[in-house]
Amino acid sequence: MASLPRLPGPRRAISSIQSIRPARLIHTIHHRPSLSPASQSPSTTNPSFKATPSIFRPYHSNLHPRLPPHEYTNSQTAILTASLPHIPTHGFTSAALTAGARDAGFLDVSVQLLPRGEFDLVLFWLASRRGLLRGKVESGEVFGAHAEGLTVQEKIKILVLERLRMNGDVKDVWQDALAQMSLLGNIPLSLLELHALSNDILTLAGDTAVDATWYARRMAVGAIYASAEVVMTRDPTPGLLETEAFVQRRFEDKEVLKGKVEGVSSWVGFWGNTVVGLGRSWGLKI
Amino acid sequence: MSARSAWRALHYSAKRRAFQPATPYRCFSCTRQASEQAKPDHERMTHFGFTNVPESEKESRVGAVFSSVASSYDNMNDLMSLGIHRLWKDHFVRSLNPGTPVANRPPHAKDQGWNILDIAGGTGDIAFRMLDHASNINHDLQTRVTISDINADMLAEGRKRSTATPYYNTPRLSFVEANAEHMPHIPSDSVDLYTVVFGIRNFTDKQAALNEAFRVLKPGGVFACMEFSKVENGLFDAVYKRWNFSAIPLIGQIVAGDRDSYQYLVESIERFPSQEEFRGMIQKAGFMIPGKGYENLTGGIAAIHKGIKPITQV
Repeated sequence: MASLPRLPGPRRAISSIQSIRPARLIHTIHHRPSLSPASQSPSTTNPSFKATPSIFRPYHSNLHPRLPPHEYTNSQTAILTASLPHIPTHGFTSAALTAGARDAGFLDVSVQLLPRGEFDLVLFWLASRRGLLRGKVESGEVFGAHAEGLTVQEKIKILVLERLRMNGDVKDVWQDALAQMSLLGNIPLSLLELHALSNDILTLAGDTAVDATWYARRMAVGAIYASAEVVMTRDPTPGLLETEAFVQRRFEDKEVLKGKVEGVSSWVGFWGNTVVGLGRSWGLKI
Repeated sequence: MSARSAWRALHYSAKRRAFQPATPYRCFSCTRQASEQAKPDHERMTHFGFTNVPESEKESRVGAVFSSVASSYDNMNDLMSLGIHRLWKDHFVRSLNPGTPVANRPPHAKDQGWNILDIAGGTGDIAFRMLDHASNINHDLQTRVTISDINADMLAEGRKRSTATPYYNTPRLSFVEANAEHMPHIPSDSVDLYTVVFGIRNFTDKQAALNEAFRVLKPGGVFACMEFSKVENGLFDAVYKRWNFSAIPLIGQIVAGDRDSYQYLVESIERFPSQEEFRGMIQKAGFMIPGKGYENLTGGIAAIHKGIKPITQV
């Protein structure tokens, strides 16, 4: 008995580590001036050299430690974090970045540290809010005591609304961010970030589907979140009531659409089977 | 007395026994050995285009090249790059966005405007663009540029051109004749932005220049360099090489009447390290590298490299 491999052991251990670890926003890479030449040669081990953020693995496993929400270096994170409080006044602009750089003890020119400029600020906002959402769920702040009684659908809706409320402070300038994200060169990274968010929401809600609906679910949550974001920029109500109602309607639409798709597919399946069976009964080689 | 001389004789013989010959064995011919030993006395060599020259000579030879091309510099650049160098330079300046907009300035800051050092910027191409961008885009009338160049002829050309700009004879623009590898007249931690555009290729010791840049920059200051680099597409590279080695010396001969200088130019482009190697050199000097570290222009014909001096955490 003792020699039998106990598979659930490491899984449980890792999940408990994840739950006690705070949401990590800081990437621990720092370029030191006194590095030895051997460690300075452009190597692939240093993630800051990667052209595109590789924070998305092509697969998911509970056995792997979670990846950090973003790949900015310490200094970049310092500037970006200091820029966040300036967003409500300056918007997602280089002015916010400059103000943040100054607050973090850098010079005006140091915003050159962020090669994508304002879009880096947008990405950092999205990634850090995503990390915060995860942290909130893991600390039990979102679902509260009655987490067990909620269905996956209800949890998804709560999480989408929770994420939208995090944008409440910047909703007047959110159009800046939407404009930045819709630029041609920025679209791939924006979509990756949207995928990461919907993936996180579904994982945190406890969705375990691994069939073809995996894609459909992520697309549905992404579409609902992205459209609600646009609605939110025009929502004058204090508690984002209009946005909440919008999200509610979209989830109902989703259910209706799901029912229709399922109906159509079962109808097609039934008639397909029937036609094949009928043909075989007539002697067709199918 | 005799005892003393006997002691001396004994002492002397003891010393002689300790003697070791300088060469452990005797060769048939010692010429080869002698030439090997003599080598350290020779000067260190560096490349000047495809030929090797002593380090002390490179400076004067580069100087001769640029003295001879100074007057026709702009026309030649236009012809050689088909005018694209202007786009590169505009992009370079725009991406750096020099100058702080008045609205974003903290009211209590005593030192307003950027202190920009433009190395190897003799003709003022970059300096005037920087000042134009700062004044017209950011409405920053305090940003100042120091043009530093090792070549007096290029500086004279820049001075001549500056008379046509609004910055002539103002404290915003100054000229210094200096070697970028050693700039004792510029205090440490005093420069916001250090730029070197199509210049670092000609430096005798590039690493020394990078170290000097690291010294003069303020913590958080930016080193920005635009330089010819390696084309990444093989097909385009073949076309580009053909243009470089056939057309450019010919254009130089016809327009500037100086084939050798332009032959040196294309050879020095060929010898310059690749994007990744140069990024490693910037990093070696102590700079932080933002993102990938370089931006290719026109398929890698030129590349913009950036480095940021880290701030020391207190």
